[in-house]
Amino acid sequence: MSKTHVYDMIVVGGGPAGYTTALYAVRAGLDTLVLEKLSAGGQMALTQEIDNYPGFEDGVNGFDLAEKMQRQAERFGANTVYAEVERLDLSAAPKELTTSEGIFRARVVVLATGANPRELGLADEAALVGRGVAYCAACDGMFYKGKTVAVVGGGNSAAEDALLLSRVAKKVILIHRRDTLRATKVYHDPLMRAQNVEFRWNSAVDGLLHGDKLTGVRLRDVRTGETTELSCDGLFVSIGRKPATELVKGQLALDDGGYILADETTKTSLPGVFAVGDVRTKPLRQVVTAVADGAVAVQMAEEYLAGGD
Amino acid sequence: MAAVNINKEEFGQLRGGDLPVLVDFWAPWCGYCRRIGPAYEQIAEEYAGRLVAAKVNIDEEGALASAEGIEVIPTLVLYRGGKALGSVVAPASKAAIDKFIRETLGQ
Repeated sequence: MSKTHVYDMIVVGGGPAGYTTALYAVRAGLDTLVLEKLSAGGQMALTQEIDNYPGFEDGVNGFDLAEKMQRQAERFGANTVYAEVERLDLSAAPKELTTSEGIFRARVVVLATGANPRELGLADEAALVGRGVAYCAACDGMFYKGKTVAVVGGGNSAAEDALLLSRVAKKVILIHRRDTLRATKVYHDPLMRAQNVEFRWNSAVDGLLHGDKLTGVRLRDVRTGETTELSCDGLFVSIGRKPATELVKGQLALDDGGYILADETTKTSLPGVFAVGDVRTKPLRQVVTAVADGAVAVQMAEEYLAGGD
Repeated sequence: MAAVNINKEEFGQLRGGDLPVLVDFWAPWCGYCRRIGPAYEQIAEEYAGRLVAAKVNIDEEGALASAEGIEVIPTLVLYRGGKALGSVVAPASKAAIDKFIRETLGQ
């Protein structure tokens, strides 16, 4: 495409919301490009098995589902460029996207940038990633075969990570600030039954102990303030997600959590800019709610392109 | 040109060759390795003629992986003139791989 080409729609992010947007857009006759920094699927691509996406009665691997969604959109004419977006000018006409692969322009921009794991925010955390600190049990769990690992967090993903790791590691220690899990009941029984899972309730991770690699963590009792040290080979951080909204700060209205303010219409505070999937303010972040956003966004984009709002 | 899967012998030959060699140490069970796959294939095409993009399955080539000091996957290592110039673990984007290659070869 020439540098002066103006797409009808550019979708930023190739997860389930992004590729569903692209699918509906190309089927509506819109000239559509997806900008993805790595590969299809976003967070879903790192999910070993998705059991709550309708139509896959035996479950489906997240990466496989992502590739299916990409191929489906591309079958009808959607294009993908593997590019990292560096700057967005959403008020320009046409809207301008500066990326690692050059500048792209479009009349409509759909933001499907999703969310990433939240970090603990401790000293040396970034330097220890891949050397004991990890954010994805499904990805890195196998490295801790026969070793001792800790999981920090109390929600569904922490419980799921602890269960997965209990099948690989020698011992799993689940660290949580409260005295019970927030995780859905289906996780409780298998976790409590697992022989090699221990719990450290009312505890927060206060520091990372390490040489070249992580050797343990310092725990602080949230009631007494007392600190203890716990030896482990790995620490899996599973304390929620943060939205990928750095690029739009100052351009779009965000909520207190940093998510893009947009209701069920997916319309943001700027005309011709829509937000779909996990990056949008919403009560439930799932693959099914993400893909639904994509269909709605295209409907709204068509109205915008037709001259209404 | 697509990224080629290589074994220990092929690695030895390539490493001694004229072109720089980028090696993606991976395994079939590693989810993030699959994720960098499409970007890695595109790197292989874009750098064709200037660099050889290869892949080593560490499950099949365990001895090679340990000899090269691979502890985490995916790890990309760039070799030139028989020696490792640098490595990057689990790059976050195609742009990050591009940057790694440019900076490492620019040294």
